[in-house]
Amino acid sequence: MFQPASLKGDSPTPIDERIRRKYLILYLVIIILSFIPCSLFEYFYIISLWKEQFYIIFFLLLPFNIFFLIYILQLSAILFSSLFLTLIKIIYSPKEGIFRRTIEDKDYLYWNLRNIVKKWPLFIIASNPFPWLKNRFTLRFFGVKIGKKCICDNAWISSEFVTIGKNVIIGMNSTIITFGIEKDNFILKRIIIEDDALIGAKCVLLPGTLIKRNTKLSAHSYTNYDDVLEENLIYAGHPAKLLEK
Amino acid sequence: MENQNDPPSEVDVISTSGVFKTPFTLIILLQLFIGGLVIVGTNLLWNHSYFTLTGHYYFSFEPIDDWVRWILLPPSIYGNIFLFWISIVLSSALIYKILNKIYPPREGVFKRGSKEWKYTHRRFWTAFFPIWLTRALPLPWMDIATYRFFGVHIGKNVVAYEGYIDPELVDIGNFTMTSLNICIFSHLIYQDKIIIKRVKIGNACVVGPHTVISPGTVMQDGAILGVNSYTNIGQELKGDLIHVGTPVSMTLPIQSLEESQEKAKKIREEMSDNQHEGKIESKNGGKRE
Repeated sequence: MFQPASLKGDSPTPIDERIRRKYLILYLVIIILSFIPCSLFEYFYIISLWKEQFYIIFFLLLPFNIFFLIYILQLSAILFSSLFLTLIKIIYSPKEGIFRRTIEDKDYLYWNLRNIVKKWPLFIIASNPFPWLKNRFTLRFFGVKIGKKCICDNAWISSEFVTIGKNVIIGMNSTIITFGIEKDNFILKRIIIEDDALIGAKCVLLPGTLIKRNTKLSAHSYTNYDDVLEENLIYAGHPAKLLEK
Repeated sequence: MENQNDPPSEVDVISTSGVFKTPFTLIILLQLFIGGLVIVGTNLLWNHSYFTLTGHYYFSFEPIDDWVRWILLPPSIYGNIFLFWISIVLSSALIYKILNKIYPPREGVFKRGSKEWKYTHRRFWTAFFPIWLTRALPLPWMDIATYRFFGVHIGKNVVAYEGYIDPELVDIGNFTMTSLNICIFSHLIYQDKIIIKRVKIGNACVVGPHTVISPGTVMQDGAILGVNSYTNIGQELKGDLIHVGTPVSMTLPIQSLEESQEKAKKIREEMSDNQHEGKIESKNGGKRE
């Protein structure tokens, strides 16, 4: 809602420069493939409606043509990227744990490759002007479990190892990152947010946090690695601690 | 009655704004349709008048030899973009005013799912697309103009480009600056309730980056909100002071540059003296041992 273009909430997918240089073709191939259905749609639109009787209908339907074009681009981007993603997952399945931050480490390399593949659809959907089928929709495609009636379109949520329950409200501009870098180590851990939890604006959840049912996290607080926030309680602070009454 | 309750002065949790998708969201399609219709209509009329004046069409699928039309192409594209913008903003401002007449916004504590909650959703969704559109345009000061069309009063010479601002019940004075990644909420979710209260920001205020301003805060003239801090519900920030904390609990005086430099010098001298004395003491201590 009402975010400037710089804060649109696309999920964080950083890529190591050494790996991006080698596998840039993957990224370009997905972009070009995803534009093919769009051009086919435009071709059929013009062929079928650019006739002397239908000029008025052609012009009246132009705004909706753009509307559908955006969604066709999104869906095709998701389709091709998830195809590549399943291929990469078959070659090497993703694991949680602590790894080394070098190209020789297979887990680190394949995590970067998955990010390269996911980057285009996540970007294109986050910059969509319409509120339907936004960030939540793509994240669900990439294996993030998100429950019903959940508000999380304005937050930066990682696209792997996240489970979010029902009726969860995740605040504006808060970040949920499941990857961390400490010296030469690279950490990948699952974040779990259970039902009815509420996370305030501008919070940061670090990898491994578990937020239990009906817990509230006040605005502007962050959690440490492997924090557990218990049920029906209120937390706040840097890092998040139980609020005394 | 719930709506007679005044909003509480202090709440233990500052959460966020939460706006669900409702069937009323389809109003975006109507706005898009109106904007497209205006653009197509004006372009066709322009083409027709151009034909009557010069004898050939402005928009044609044949290759153009006329160099004047090539020069006029970029301004025509920009003109189309701004025509699209202004038609959508004006039409949605009209819808917004009609909604305001039907059920004007009120302050207080309401249940989620009440009539008030429904109408805030409707007002938000009508303002959503025009504000998105202006923020996607290349000119930075356009979004202040669009905010003025809705329920926000913004004064002269205001910086408000890079942050979330609610489209209703917000007053911003002259010469205020708001920096990157701020949230100005005039409504807030608390458990199964929603708190709505007017936010007032005075003249010549500065709102620092990464701050949250929750409903009911009053910033007096010349108040400064520091980096990475948030305000409680109904908190008053006094003028000509710096306010810091999560939530705001500390005040600092505003200094001129020369004063702060002098202070820094004094502190550095004291530090160096202390270090010197400390070394001597430690040497003495070493001898004694």
